[in-house]
Amino acid sequence: MNDVAIIFKREFRAYFYSPIAYVFSVIFIVLNASIYMFHFFFFGNADMRSFFSTLPLVIGLIFIPAISMRLWSEENKLGTIELLLTLPMRTEHIVLGKFLASFVFYLIALAGTLTIPIILIILGKPDFGPIVGGYFGAMLLGAFFLAIGIFISGFFSDQIVSLIITSLVCGFLVLIGWQYVPMVVDGWIPGMGEFLYNYIGVTRHFNDIERGVIDIRNIIYFLSFTSLFLFLNAKALERRKY
Amino acid sequence: MIELQNVYKNYGLTKALIDVSFSIEKGEIIGFVGPNGAGKSTAMKIITTYTAPTSGTATIGGYDVLENPLEVRKLIGYLPETVPLYSDMLVNEYLEFIGAARHLNGQFKQRYDWVVEACGLQPVLKRKIGVLSKGFKQRTCLAQALIHDPDVLILDEPTSGLDPLQIIGIRNLVRELAHDKTIILSTHILPEVSTIADRILVVNEGRIVADGSFEDLVQQVTDRNSIYIEVRTTKKDLQSAVQSISDVEEVIYNDETPKGIVGCHLYFTAKTDLLPQINQIVRERSWDILEFQREKLSLEDSFIRLTKSRGNDSGEDTVNTEPSPDEEGGAE
Repeated sequence: MNDVAIIFKREFRAYFYSPIAYVFSVIFIVLNASIYMFHFFFFGNADMRSFFSTLPLVIGLIFIPAISMRLWSEENKLGTIELLLTLPMRTEHIVLGKFLASFVFYLIALAGTLTIPIILIILGKPDFGPIVGGYFGAMLLGAFFLAIGIFISGFFSDQIVSLIITSLVCGFLVLIGWQYVPMVVDGWIPGMGEFLYNYIGVTRHFNDIERGVIDIRNIIYFLSFTSLFLFLNAKALERRKY
Repeated sequence: MIELQNVYKNYGLTKALIDVSFSIEKGEIIGFVGPNGAGKSTAMKIITTYTAPTSGTATIGGYDVLENPLEVRKLIGYLPETVPLYSDMLVNEYLEFIGAARHLNGQFKQRYDWVVEACGLQPVLKRKIGVLSKGFKQRTCLAQALIHDPDVLILDEPTSGLDPLQIIGIRNLVRELAHDKTIILSTHILPEVSTIADRILVVNEGRIVADGSFEDLVQQVTDRNSIYIEVRTTKKDLQSAVQSISDVEEVIYNDETPKGIVGCHLYFTAKTDLLPQINQIVRERSWDILEFQREKLSLEDSFIRLTKSRGNDSGEDTVNTEPSPDEEGGAE
């Protein structure tokens, strides 16, 4: 476990070596807050429902791919993967260390949006259930998307390619959970849209948690997929040896 | 210490290593020599557990590279050919990271000080790796390979792209480390291995084509010695004299000598010694000797012969792909 901490430390610091992470964090916070503020002033409700309804798309399309793209692609590009994978460490621990570094970075950016609930508390009497649930869901969803991102990043040495593919995959997972997208897919292949909506899309699970309904099945959904992609990432890296 | 048995490695359809077997004792310095793409790096990647052999076994210090990779990695310090480094990190940060990853804990300070001194990194410790010169990058990467005082040191082209002074520096460092470590270094710069390595493995097209000390190797490629003699006489006289010498295998006359002077290379088997016979002829005919010398084959010559003899199996053109001596300094 010590190895996880060593990798975590290096990876987490690495986010602050280049301005990319700062830039994307600022974009993330500004974008989320501004989309929300439009609804907030229009409807005047002291809740964060509109914030959490756009959050999956914002993190899935831009923020998560931006912070996961470098995790392995940079190592592939610099060739440092050759030294990293010949250190006396288990590949699983390296993957976990990298994942946790990106996850903590994500949590910090997410914490930047806590200004919104603070404003709500000052201006009105918000219902805390959905807000706490929403943040909890956002943590789980972020972990899941980051696991997908780190897995994809392992296959490419170009960070931009990793970003675009992660963005496409996460975007698909979000959109397929929106009611009208499965309807369109059903129009092409009957039954397909509904299948994807029920079993693949993340939005349904996220919405349940966000409403304040903490159902163990939804938590298991996110945690098991997160673990699966991290496991696949480690296996894919080991597989490269052959 | 290092043992490879019938190792094959395929990258898709390309055969990078074909039936490679060798064993290296503790404390030996091995020079891996071969043209670009011969399989030197692949063999090193297998030893460092970065790639797995397609078939065959490799054990380092008794640990199999596939079954016990973590134990193998603890024993090894590795300098890859591409000198991969995190360009955004500072040199001292990087060495701290490697020290932690190598679980040095309490010994770190002492090892860190030693490695900074040995690799001459003092002036660049607080600099970003990305802005360092090629020489300092190379030394930072070497420091990374040495920080845990490994038993086995794998150096893939440690001197490529360095200036002559830096090459001498690295060579001296390797020699200094040699007494208690097993070292494998690959290169296509031949004089480098002939001065440091105890043993040379010549690799070509995925096979080990020669294995032995520098002298053995020369012996292996050519069992002929040669003498060059240049005297003041007529060509006819020299020819008749040469014909009287027994055991001469081949005579090549030098056509570029000035008028009235003739010269020739005499080739003969290594077991015989022509000197007494030649001496006698010179005395009998009372020639003026202008030049008289034994010719030693350089490692370059033997290397070219080895790769050529293999090259002939699959066609002449493989011979031409060898780097010429002028290009040796360049990166692959």
